[in-house]
Amino acid sequence: QNTLNVCFSVGYSAVALNHVIDFKEKKQEIIKPVSPSELFPSLPIVQGTTKRIKVLTRLTLVVSDPSHCNLLRSTSANIRLYDIIAVFPKTEKLFHIACTTLDVDLVCINVTEKLPFYFRRPPVNMAIDRGIYFELLYTPAIKDSTMRRYTISNAISLMQICKGKNIVISSAAERPLELRGPYDVANLGLLFGLSESEAKAAVSTNCRATMLHGETRKTACGVVYTVKKPRKVEEEETTVPACKKAKTQA
Amino acid sequence: RAELPPAEFERRVLRSAARHHYLRVRLELADGGARPNAAQFKQLVVSALRELHGEVGAALPVDVLTYEEKTLSAILRVISSGLVKLWSALTLLGFYQNRRCAFRVLQTSPFLLALSGNSRELVL
Repeated sequence: QNTLNVCFSVGYSAVALNHVIDFKEKKQEIIKPVSPSELFPSLPIVQGTTKRIKVLTRLTLVVSDPSHCNLLRSTSANIRLYDIIAVFPKTEKLFHIACTTLDVDLVCINVTEKLPFYFRRPPVNMAIDRGIYFELLYTPAIKDSTMRRYTISNAISLMQICKGKNIVISSAAERPLELRGPYDVANLGLLFGLSESEAKAAVSTNCRATMLHGETRKTACGVVYTVKKPRKVEEEETTVPACKKAKTQA
Repeated sequence: RAELPPAEFERRVLRSAARHHYLRVRLELADGGARPNAAQFKQLVVSALRELHGEVGAALPVDVLTYEEKTLSAILRVISSGLVKLWSALTLLGFYQNRRCAFRVLQTSPFLLALSGNSRELVL
């Protein structure tokens, strides 16, 4: 709770509380997220505006086996209670599956150890088209110097493939002193090789896009759109009236 | 009405006009323990630069213009090309004498005068 108070004082406008599920241990059940209203009876106001700070809940799945992904497709009610869903792939196949077919908002990139696989361009481009963002953590870089090197090297190799698009930088802070302000984090993006505008977007616009992606994932089930058929004009005969066709796509 | 001659103005863009950048920072420590004095503070900043950017980073010309021991806040001056290095080194500093610490950068500006007012502390 202290950590959240520090967040608000430093100048963030939305915070997500993370819950990590690791599938290597047995008997993992997804529990209901702690509702933010239990922690704070009234949320403080963002610095400089009149809106209140949003506190969201987020779930991270550490997957090392394709069978773990079945949980995402199951209709367990508890998954739907989380606002943002992130997946942490451990192998190259899972990274490919996560980028192309899984229904998640974020793909976490490991920063604490050397990546066992190299990024390839096709799955990364597909993820960018689908609106999935890649997440980098910066708190390990504060704790340990070896992890600093891994963070920066993994981030640089990611930048080379994705050219700085769709990146979100977040902290995995457990204590209030491990948190850094938003402009400090944007500066870290410059270290990773992003340009200035991309670095600021990694903290602001991309995060907001992730939140909206999570909302649409929770609510949208199908899309209905109408297409106007082009009018055929024939010189001799009367014109055929244009007809509108309704198309439903599940 | 006589027509006025068209106004002539010339646009000059100065990308890197200022030679120094100024940062107002505050060091937050876990409670208890001795507070660093000015010399130890400067040494902390230089060691943070050395940890992240090596000897070249530690050689960056950084000056501590003011330092208050009570609130642990200071105003640093660094050459403009070294702002990113200094700021990232301060952000990633985790420990001071085996105690957890955090640097909060409150304001940064190429002009020292701009550090005197803080629009975030305005009471609306």
